[in-house]
Amino acid sequence: MREKATTLYFGPQHPGITGNMMIRLKVEGDTIVKATIEVGYLHRGFEKLQEKRNWLQSFTLLCRFCVPEPDPVEESYARAVELLEGREVPERAKYIRVMMLELARMGAYMLWYGGQNASLGLYTMGQWSVGDRNYILDLFEELTGGRIYHMYIWPGGVRRDLPEGFADKVLRTMDYFEKRLKDYDDLMFSSTIFRKRTQGIGIIPKEKAVEWGVVGPVLRGSGIHSDIRIDDPYEVYDKLDFIVPTEEGGDIWSRALVRRQEVRQSIHIIRQVIEKMPQGEYYNRIPNPLKWALPKGDAYARTEAVRGEVGMYIVSDGSIHPRRTHFRGAAYVHAITLLENLLVGENISDVAAIMNSLGTCPPEIER
Amino acid sequence: MILDIYSFSTLTSSIDNSLHNMMSPWMATLTEFVLVGIVFLLFYALLGLFLVYLERKVCAVIQNRIGPNRVGRWGIFQTFADFIKLLMKELITIKHADKFLFNLAPFIVIIASFMAMAALPFAKGLQAIDFNIGIFYVIAVSSLGVVGILIAGWSSNSKYSLIGAMRSGAQIISYELSVGLSLLAIVIFSGSMQLSTIVESQADGWWIFKGHIPAFIAFVLYLITATAEINRGPFDLAEAESELTAGFHTEYSGIKFAFFFLAEYMNMFIVSAIAATLFLGGWMPFHIGGWEGFNQIMDYIPSILWFFGKTFVVIYIIMWFKWTFPRLRIDQMLNLEWKYLLPLNLMNTVIISFVVLMGLYFK
Repeated sequence: MREKATTLYFGPQHPGITGNMMIRLKVEGDTIVKATIEVGYLHRGFEKLQEKRNWLQSFTLLCRFCVPEPDPVEESYARAVELLEGREVPERAKYIRVMMLELARMGAYMLWYGGQNASLGLYTMGQWSVGDRNYILDLFEELTGGRIYHMYIWPGGVRRDLPEGFADKVLRTMDYFEKRLKDYDDLMFSSTIFRKRTQGIGIIPKEKAVEWGVVGPVLRGSGIHSDIRIDDPYEVYDKLDFIVPTEEGGDIWSRALVRRQEVRQSIHIIRQVIEKMPQGEYYNRIPNPLKWALPKGDAYARTEAVRGEVGMYIVSDGSIHPRRTHFRGAAYVHAITLLENLLVGENISDVAAIMNSLGTCPPEIER
Repeated sequence: MILDIYSFSTLTSSIDNSLHNMMSPWMATLTEFVLVGIVFLLFYALLGLFLVYLERKVCAVIQNRIGPNRVGRWGIFQTFADFIKLLMKELITIKHADKFLFNLAPFIVIIASFMAMAALPFAKGLQAIDFNIGIFYVIAVSSLGVVGILIAGWSSNSKYSLIGAMRSGAQIISYELSVGLSLLAIVIFSGSMQLSTIVESQADGWWIFKGHIPAFIAFVLYLITATAEINRGPFDLAEAESELTAGFHTEYSGIKFAFFFLAEYMNMFIVSAIAATLFLGGWMPFHIGGWEGFNQIMDYIPSILWFFGKTFVVIYIIMWFKWTFPRLRIDQMLNLEWKYLLPLNLMNTVIISFVVLMGLYFK
């Protein structure tokens, strides 16, 4: 006898969902037979709005693409503009940018730690990691003036130089995090229940991963070594020593292990950056933004974010406004095609866990 | 030797005598019923609110936070404020819900947990009714709660509620077996189901020490299965927030939600009290054989403090579970019960019967 399938609405007010989106689940018993992603709760028309703004004003929009980690989007846009204009970036600014990006990566991973565990019913982890994320936000506040939205990485360099004694503060924070990550391991990765809940769930097979367009840590969790920082080095990543971890499993557990190691690599990178950072200029000043026209043409720049590859494509017709901008975000692929494929055959208990392991960001989907 | 000044029997018997002097016997009994009922209701409500406050403080400590600290000193009136807020909230009944059952369900849940209080020996001479099948009674009435949960899920006309209720039904009914078996261990040791006799039998040593390893295994098994029995994390599948919004009580609001909430915390108190009574000696003080001075000092601590101290230690352990373990999936949880805990429990029961028959435990 075939059970009658029921429709279950998961989100947008469901506590287990990440951001404002909805999944319509067809469920037989506890098993999902069909998943349909419904987006459109957060459309803000970022790309269209940018066409009405000058080249610098776009930054207030860029950081809202993905709230947990806004810096890679700014970085992509800034580099695309620099590419189009041929503007040189001082060496010191490059190092500061890398430090900024890695701090942002750590901050986003702290949120992931919380989200992934909350989806499995362990709320303590989120309280710890989000509490510790405040130390990163404190650094951001001192450096940029903003805790969440920084608008710090600008075309031509960075907005401000490092304050007095900032490097020491960063190093102290890194020491603190190194200590705390051990506690996180005790709570999360040593837990048998966590392993049992995540192993073999939400498997992305290696051969399918490329076909589905998976990027970032999710792809590395499926055993494919791919990272923009290595494959297409930007800023000073080619001068730094770090490894890109991969895991073979393709399930939530493997993705969690990849992220676990990446936080440690971020700490390693930040320490190197502080050590190697040269003195000198930090900003190749742009002309008056109200009269700042870019040459005709187009440019694309991509950055490795926590969610995967994020890229910004800009087209200029020689005026002070972009003719068209297009943003390529990992969340679009992950939260729509990938999630719809992954959820089929899974238990409804695992929906939130699978979603969190993919690193979705609804505003990025709808832009 | 337990000092008689700490015994509640003096107080209760004097009340009993004066009531009998004042009125006819049946009237006196009726008055006693009402008095005990009022005392229990007050105790139930206050303890429930205190447990909610305690949970928030304990979880705050575990999570590196401060917890409630605004209403009253150290925030002790926070839960009262919350409760008053819940009292004043609108009671929403959803469309197409079965109104009668929807309204009935919270009462079944709360009555089930309330009834179990009657048999608990809180201190020397402080026990409402001393059944000769006390422990059996407690298990029986506390498992009535699942009926309320199933009704709540069914009558809500909500899919999440229904899934939560069905999970909870499967969970509670399976784990009841293990709870019963692990309590059976102590029944075998003490040879009685009467809670007062079980407590008396631990005057010279608690069963967890006297009963060797089998009693300790039974205690650990009881802790695990009791946590599952009362729907608490890591077994809180019935209300799994990130999966089912709030499970069986998703559609409840105001005071009806508060009933479920209070019942959940009081169930935690009841299972902890049973653990304290059966395994940790109930209101009996801690004694070490041969240390006369030490034992006398322990005797000076009133029995009610011993009972609540032990109970709150167990409550703390159960809270600790919740905030440091992720939640299990429904199939994993049933696997754990039917493939591991139940066979282990059965084996343990056989071993205990053997130990008792051969007289291998400390007498």
